[in-house]
Amino acid sequence: MVARPLIILGGGLSGLAAGIRHARFGLPTVILERHHRIGGLNSYYYRHGQLFETGLHAMTNFAPRRAKSRPLNILFRQLKLSRKSFITHEQVGSEVVFPDQALRFTNDIDLLRAEISHKFPASAAGFESLISAVRDYDPFLPRPVLSSRRRLSVFLPDLLLVDMLLWPLMVYGNSQEHDMDWSQFVIMFQALFLEGFFRPAGTIKDFLDLLLAHYLSLGGKMRLEAEVSALTVQNREVKAVRLSSGEEMRADKVISTLGAPATMALLADSLPGCPADYQGRMSFVESIFVLPAAALEALPKRTCIFYNNHRRFDYCRPAELVDYGLGVINFPANFKGLPPHDTAQIRVTHPANYRLWRQLDRGRGGKRSSAYKAAKAEAVARCQAAAGEIIGNFPENIVYQDTFTPLTIERYSAKAQGAVYGSPLKIKDGRTNYDNLFVAGTDQGYLGIVGAMLSGVTMVNQHIL
Amino acid sequence: MTRDEINAVILEIIADIDEDAETTDINADEPLRDQLDLDSMDFLDIVMELRKRYKIQIPEEDYPQLASLSSCVNYLESKLKDF
Repeated sequence: MVARPLIILGGGLSGLAAGIRHARFGLPTVILERHHRIGGLNSYYYRHGQLFETGLHAMTNFAPRRAKSRPLNILFRQLKLSRKSFITHEQVGSEVVFPDQALRFTNDIDLLRAEISHKFPASAAGFESLISAVRDYDPFLPRPVLSSRRRLSVFLPDLLLVDMLLWPLMVYGNSQEHDMDWSQFVIMFQALFLEGFFRPAGTIKDFLDLLLAHYLSLGGKMRLEAEVSALTVQNREVKAVRLSSGEEMRADKVISTLGAPATMALLADSLPGCPADYQGRMSFVESIFVLPAAALEALPKRTCIFYNNHRRFDYCRPAELVDYGLGVINFPANFKGLPPHDTAQIRVTHPANYRLWRQLDRGRGGKRSSAYKAAKAEAVARCQAAAGEIIGNFPENIVYQDTFTPLTIERYSAKAQGAVYGSPLKIKDGRTNYDNLFVAGTDQGYLGIVGAMLSGVTMVNQHIL
Repeated sequence: MTRDEINAVILEIIADIDEDAETTDINADEPLRDQLDLDSMDFLDIVMELRKRYKIQIPEEDYPQLASLSSCVNYLESKLKDF
C-alpha cells in the first residue's frame, strides 16, 4: 500500500515552499492548485505577447549571500536551493513622500538614519532605540496584540515620522486597518528597512519555474486545475480531500494555504470563531503602465515611492471605490544591474473598497458588467493623474496599460474580498480544530514572498516532519 | 560503520545542507553551530537527512548530543553500527 501523502491546498509560494520542504526528505507530497498556473498572488499573465507579473513589485528581506542567518538565506538552505546561483538586484532607492516632508531609504539603514536626524532631529535618538528594540524582539513567539502606534510614540516624538514609517510597512503587508500589530511591525521593519528591497534576475515566472522544477525533481506531485470542494473528516481528523470533479484523495496530513475564510468554507468548524472574524478589509487597485524605456529618464530614479496627499494619514478601506490620495508608485526597472529593455513599467497601487466594487459587478464569473468596466476605465485615468502629480506627467508615452481591482484579486487568488494580506487575526501556531489540518501562508502570519515561503517551511518543520 | 565513516557522513550532510560551508577546518570538539554559522532550522536537516538515509529516529531530547562533530560521532556510533 502506498503511503498517504501530505496534501497541500494552494500552489502559491507558501504551498510550493511547504511542498519542497516535505518532498526533499523523500516523503509523499501532493499540491492541489485551482488554476492552470501556479503562483497564487504572485503569478503572471500575458497580454499582447508581453508577460505581466502580479504581486511582485520588489521582494523584501534582501540578504547578501554570506549573511547566513538572514531569512532569505535560511529559506534557500531549507529548500535546498542554491543561493549561489540565485542572482539578485538590489533597489536603487525608495522614498516616502508626505505633503510637507519626504524621506529616502535604501538597503543601507544609514541613509534613513541620516534623513531622520536631518529632518526629524527630535526623533533621531529615539530612532536608534527603535532599531535596537526591533533587533531584540522575537516576533514569531505567540504574544498578545500590541499597538504599534502606541509603542512608536514612545520612541518617536514626531508623529509625522511615525506615519511616514508606517505607510510603507503597512502597504507591504498589514491586514489590520488604522494600526499594526507590533510583531507585524517588527517583521516588516526588518524586511523593508533593515534588509531591504531586491528583485531576482528574470521574472516571477522564472522563479516559479525554478521552484516547480525543483519540487518535481524531489518527487513532489503537482495537480493543476484541481479545485478542492470539501474536506472529509472523521472524529478530529481530515481523512480525505474531495475535488470539484468528484475525485476523493486520501490524506495523511493537510496544509491549507487558502486563508482562513476559504479554509472555513471547506470545513466550517476548522477554526475557532466564524469566517467574518478572519475577513480582511484591505484591498487594492493597481494599474500597470508600459512606456518606452527612454521615458523613464525624465522621471525620478526611485524603486518605490510611497506617497500620501492627505492631511491626516489613515490606512484603511476607503469610503470611495479608490483612494487616490494614498499610493505606491513602483518602477520595476529601477533595480541595480538589470539588463536594458525597450520598454519599462510603472505600477501604481491605491487602497480600494471591495464592497463598492462588488456592488458594480455582482457576478462571480464570466463577463464583467458595463458599470464595472466604466469604473475601471475611470480608475486608470485617475490613477495616472494622481501618480503624475508626484513624479511628473507621463501621458503621451504609454504603450499599453492594464488595471486590476479587488474583484480581479478575488477571482485569481483564494483571497476572499481581494484582501491580499488576509486576516487581521493571525493563526501563528498554524493549528486548527483538526489534529492533522494546519494553515500556512498569509493567515499564519508571515508576509511577503520570503515570509510566505518561510511560513510553508516552518509549518512543515513544526507539524509534519 | 566506523567512527571515521560516520565523521565523513556528517561532513557530507553538512556540505549538502550548506553550499558555502567550510568543512575542512572544523574543530571536532567545538559546537558546529558557531563554526558554521548555522541556524537551529539547519540542525533539523541533519536529523532528517540521517532519517532518510539510514531510517534512524533521533528524538528531540537527543538533539543536544549533535552539538559538535565528536559528540555526533559518539551518539551515532551505536545507531549506525550495522551499516
